[in-house]
Amino acid sequence: MVDFYARTLIDYAVVALGMAVAMFIVFQVLVRLGMKREAATGYALILPWLLGFIVWTAYPILASLYYSFTNYNVFQPPKWVGLDNYVKWLTNDRSFWPSLRLTLLYGLISLPIGLALSLGVAMLLARNVRGVGVWRTLYYLPAIIPTVATILLWRWLLGSEGLVNQIMSPLYNLIGMDKPSWFVDERYALPGLIIMSLWGVFGANTVILLAGLKNIPTHLYEAVELDGGGAWAKFRHVTLPMISPTLFYTLVLGVIAAVKTFEPGIFIKLNSLTTGTFLQVLVYGNAFAGGNSRMGYASALGWIMLIIIMVLTLLVFRSSALWVYYEGERK
Amino acid sequence: MEEAKELQAVIDKVNAAATTYEIVHEPQPADYYTKIQTNLAGGTAADLLWLSQEFIAGYADKGVLLDISDYLKNDTRPAAKLDDYFSDILQTAQFNGRTYGLPWIAQPVVLYYNPKMFADAGVEPPNENWTWDDFKTAAEKLTKDTDGDGKPDQWGTAFNGWPPIHMFIWQAGGEVISEDKTQSPIDTPEALAGAQFYKDIIYNPKYAAPQEVIKEQGFAELAKNGKVAMFFGGAADDLDYAHTKDPRFAEMKVALVPKGPKSRATFAWTASTVINAATKNPKAAYDALVDLTEGIHRWKIVAPRKSLASAEVIAASVPQKQASAEVILKALPDARSFRIVPRHSEWDSIFWEKFQDPLFQGKGTAAELAKQARPELEATLSQ
Repeated sequence: MVDFYARTLIDYAVVALGMAVAMFIVFQVLVRLGMKREAATGYALILPWLLGFIVWTAYPILASLYYSFTNYNVFQPPKWVGLDNYVKWLTNDRSFWPSLRLTLLYGLISLPIGLALSLGVAMLLARNVRGVGVWRTLYYLPAIIPTVATILLWRWLLGSEGLVNQIMSPLYNLIGMDKPSWFVDERYALPGLIIMSLWGVFGANTVILLAGLKNIPTHLYEAVELDGGGAWAKFRHVTLPMISPTLFYTLVLGVIAAVKTFEPGIFIKLNSLTTGTFLQVLVYGNAFAGGNSRMGYASALGWIMLIIIMVLTLLVFRSSALWVYYEGERK
Repeated sequence: MEEAKELQAVIDKVNAAATTYEIVHEPQPADYYTKIQTNLAGGTAADLLWLSQEFIAGYADKGVLLDISDYLKNDTRPAAKLDDYFSDILQTAQFNGRTYGLPWIAQPVVLYYNPKMFADAGVEPPNENWTWDDFKTAAEKLTKDTDGDGKPDQWGTAFNGWPPIHMFIWQAGGEVISEDKTQSPIDTPEALAGAQFYKDIIYNPKYAAPQEVIKEQGFAELAKNGKVAMFFGGAADDLDYAHTKDPRFAEMKVALVPKGPKSRATFAWTASTVINAATKNPKAAYDALVDLTEGIHRWKIVAPRKSLASAEVIAASVPQKQASAEVILKALPDARSFRIVPRHSEWDSIFWEKFQDPLFQGKGTAAELAKQARPELEATLSQ
């Protein structure tokens, strides 16, 4: 073990030294080519990041685009099959459409509810009540609990003998309904996932919205008061327009995150043929799980997801002209 | 956990006698096949690996596994004698006439039953002449509502896709992959009869625990907790001695699986130890493989070798299994493993997605689904 750490340390040292030399060479070459010293220093300094980006991000992206047109099992060279993988996903894969439906419905329902809730909490936290720091910490807490722990907790809460069903059982009796087994019964899987998704929304979104709220100048509210407007008028005519750029930002990130949802689908086994599962789980399943990689097929779904995300984001951007207000901009 | 300790004891013994190698055990409890695939592709995999039967042909076909046929020819150690292996089990470690590993277990499916539940329901316990009909009749009688809430809370049996539906198709005289591995005749009348029998029972509240109950309460746990009277389990399962470890568990006995219209074929789960083709020391790895296999054969039941298929070896390997040894040995001649093709997992997912799952969910009759699935299955058989 000591030996292992020693070797690792040496490896790091070699890489660091090599990087320093490379940065120096880049700097020298750029200066010789007539670049200003300041600019050359900049380029030399971002060299490690640039190399990392090329090796760990740009190359994998391009490789997956290529693989998506091939049959590739990671052991033998890929075989070109053209658009076959894409056609197969869209026409001949029984888990694709239910999963697309689940993923989109999940985003479509959980996202607005989650945003509304975090906006509400942010507005409460924006008030100067006593101990506001404690409240802010408490509301942020769920966001720093690892997702997996949260999911395991909810799997227990929403089991057929779980806490939720025990609390709700008088209600079930009243309407003559059996205790649902949320994640097993296909009718309740989506609602269960959505309820679970709301647990974490207070974290980052609330903090961002809170920052947006704090930036609203108080004189705007005073103006509403002078005109005799109440709380609703303040919210409707000041708060909402003023934080609409913040909402827009969280919405865009939320759409991307919703399409890419992964952990709940891995830790709660959904039946991909009836309820569907999250698209990202299908990518993982085909690329890595089960000992027989279909990397090409999985890559194709990755690119289909990218197109879905682009279309949805574009829609949000297009619609933003209608509801996002930027200060200093005239409509 | 317990199993890892037992294996470590086997390995310690093997290592103590070895001069050219040392086996280091790296347990990988979760996502095993994902992990080794990544390791093999990245060149960081261990020299020896365990592969369940479905994977060996595929990996051998991709050139990832070391062909050990020539080593085996010149080896006189007992675990290296291929004639001694049950041929149906050994074939899962072979591909195109070459051998790529040694099986370490041959675990036929047997019928575990709960004598107390049988007595309470006034049903005769299973015997060697049991047919499908006898099984069905008993399962129906053993499914009962004991607390009077109008819903059954004990069941005759529980299926969740295990044992594989293939087993019932074989029992009816059908095949899912033909002997020459070029066809998937799942739409023959025999194959359909087997599939239909299974479909009639699985998740059917008349005979078996429903899907929700199985998922919530655990599949084998239902049997252990005395809620399911008959359970198809592997011969090495602990169902027949779980009560000796924890008195809360139900006492169960072992019987042969019921006979189908054509045979009593029973599925045998098997796995093999194989060698990573990229190993730096093929000879040492091979020696370790054979020694380790010999060690495991005296620990795991049933060892896949004819010479070790005796009540004494079983009792010596797992003393708690002594009472069941006779039935397990009787099941062995009918034990069958899958016929494995290189693109087996692809075949398997089509079989599941296009045939088995829709059949269980009532989304088509066995005949319709089989007809649709067959051409797609056969497309994966041609290499």
